[in-house]
Amino acid sequence: MVNQQLKVSNSQGFHMRPATMFVSEMAKFQSSVTIKFNGLNVNGKSLMNLIAACIKFGSEIEIVCEGDDEQAALDKAVELIQSGLGEE
Amino acid sequence: MMIRGTAASEGIGIGTVKIVTTSPRDIEYYAPENKADEINRYNEALESFCADTEKMAAELSEAASEKEAEILKGHIQMIRDPFVTSQITDEIEKGSCAEAAAEKVLNSVIEMFKATGDQLTMERATDVADIKARLIMHLQGIEDVNLSRVPSGTVIVTDDLTPSMTVGITGDQIAGIITAKGGYTSHSAILSRALGIPAVLSVKDIMTSISDGDHVIVDGSEGLVIVSPTEADSEKYAKKAAEFAEMKRQLQAFKGKPSVTADGEPREIVANIGSPADGVIAKNDDAEGIGLLRTEFLYMNRPSAPLEEEQFEAYKKVAETFGDKPVIIRTLDIGGDKEVPYLNLPHEDNPFMGYRAIRFCLNNHDLFQTQLKALLRASAYGNVSIMIPMITTVDEVREVKKLRDQCIEDLTREGKNFNPDTPLGIMVETPAASIIADRLALEVDFFSIGTNDLTGYTMAADRGNSQVQNLYSAFDPAVLRSIKRICSCAHNAGIPVGMCGEAASDPALIPVLLAFGLDEFSVSHEKVLSTRYNLSLWNKIEADHIARHALARDSAAGIRRYLNDKVKRRIRK
Repeated sequence: MVNQQLKVSNSQGFHMRPATMFVSEMAKFQSSVTIKFNGLNVNGKSLMNLIAACIKFGSEIEIVCEGDDEQAALDKAVELIQSGLGEE
Repeated sequence: MMIRGTAASEGIGIGTVKIVTTSPRDIEYYAPENKADEINRYNEALESFCADTEKMAAELSEAASEKEAEILKGHIQMIRDPFVTSQITDEIEKGSCAEAAAEKVLNSVIEMFKATGDQLTMERATDVADIKARLIMHLQGIEDVNLSRVPSGTVIVTDDLTPSMTVGITGDQIAGIITAKGGYTSHSAILSRALGIPAVLSVKDIMTSISDGDHVIVDGSEGLVIVSPTEADSEKYAKKAAEFAEMKRQLQAFKGKPSVTADGEPREIVANIGSPADGVIAKNDDAEGIGLLRTEFLYMNRPSAPLEEEQFEAYKKVAETFGDKPVIIRTLDIGGDKEVPYLNLPHEDNPFMGYRAIRFCLNNHDLFQTQLKALLRASAYGNVSIMIPMITTVDEVREVKKLRDQCIEDLTREGKNFNPDTPLGIMVETPAASIIADRLALEVDFFSIGTNDLTGYTMAADRGNSQVQNLYSAFDPAVLRSIKRICSCAHNAGIPVGMCGEAASDPALIPVLLAFGLDEFSVSHEKVLSTRYNLSLWNKIEADHIARHALARDSAAGIRRYLNDKVKRRIRK
């Protein structure tokens, strides 16, 4: 199991379009992806759950990946969030 | 039986009712015999749902309805959520049929979204409800509504036109549209007008007051629906329909012709639009350019402000639609009366005299300059002008110019393509602007008179307030004098003056506006041809004479009566 804490830096947070982009990238990995936020454990591969979590700009989150390709999954997740989840 | 609604799209439609339902049949709750088969059935329905939605999104994209296309693509992403799929499969394993499983799981998602209390997330609940209905309809074998296959003379009756329904719709088979919801500016209305289909909206109980196969007359000009018309009704409306068709036919003769007065003096007739897709419609309706592109569509119904690139692409689209013809784009004109949460506009008791439009923009340089940069860049791809709303002082204009100059410096440094000579004009829509129009004319490249707001502010009357509605009139001498003054000040300073309020397309006002020297008439797209026709009726001498006599009268009612009489006589000739 690997994890990393970071801050959400894109203005929309995990709203529709960025969340969709995130889950389609994460679907390529076999590991489970969990986003810990506000005391919640959110399934990072589920669009519905991500939207319902209302993770906004400036939120402090922790990404946890578990599985065979956990490190690659974590690296990708971090890269996506740090680069703004597709927002310019 | 006669029913009243909102007149949303002019014309007379006579035909047979087809009720279009966007909800599934009642679900039968049963335990399927073979669970594996049931899961397969779900997966097949899921695939056909996604394929159909994909197709609709592509068709909407082609028709330049990008926003609607994005909404549908989002639906596909949501229904393919592995969490949703596994929950539905679990329910089927527990003994539910696929429809009941989908209903249960998607209802819990809807509740989950609603429970967040977050406005944007709660809006997504509507999307999930739409997905649920359509997915269950796929499972029930109910075909996605395909309105392109209905027999000729069909009058569509439905709750509300959804983006998915409007794909493939043409004006050829559909004689009329009646909906339970929606106003003049709703999606249903805009679409009906774009297709030239008579429509009456906001007929609350229509779904229960009418049946499939009923004969019906739709009077989209007056907002009336006549169910099971009598012979007398039918005769009357057949005549009305013929007159309307004849008028439209006569107007078609003006298509492709220059807009000129009876003396052959040219004027510009352009359109007011609210999106790039509307721009295409306006062009097809022979608009000679755009006199007002409202930009609020870019800022509404989203969680954050649009960035430069997104804005640039949208403005560029409109610019390219019109090539070298003018496209005037208005900067953000929004206030506390509209819901735009991320702008953090305070609640105001009097939003129309409050912190909105240019006042807000001059206090939010980042937001404003992002828009200015996008506009300047788009102007390299066509004939774009920038227009500022709600100006009341010369200082505001000077500040806008300073900010614009900074943007020019930035863009030059960034090496981006843009037109440094992009014309900058203002909407003249406040009494202050009208009174100091002589000073303002020296500061800008053009004026556009916003009669809708100018009338309200000048007459101190809210057009939506039934108790003072009668005071709100562009025919009032106070308003006409203001318009006259604004035009004179513009010409004294050597700048053009246009009008983008409803008054510009009023046949009774056109001779007066001509006399005042209005250069450009910006109207709703479906009024381009009729405005061209009305323009062609008057020569300068008559127009001057009429304007003088009109202004000699003391009341809006008197002036209107006089002008209407003049127009009637002219048309008869």
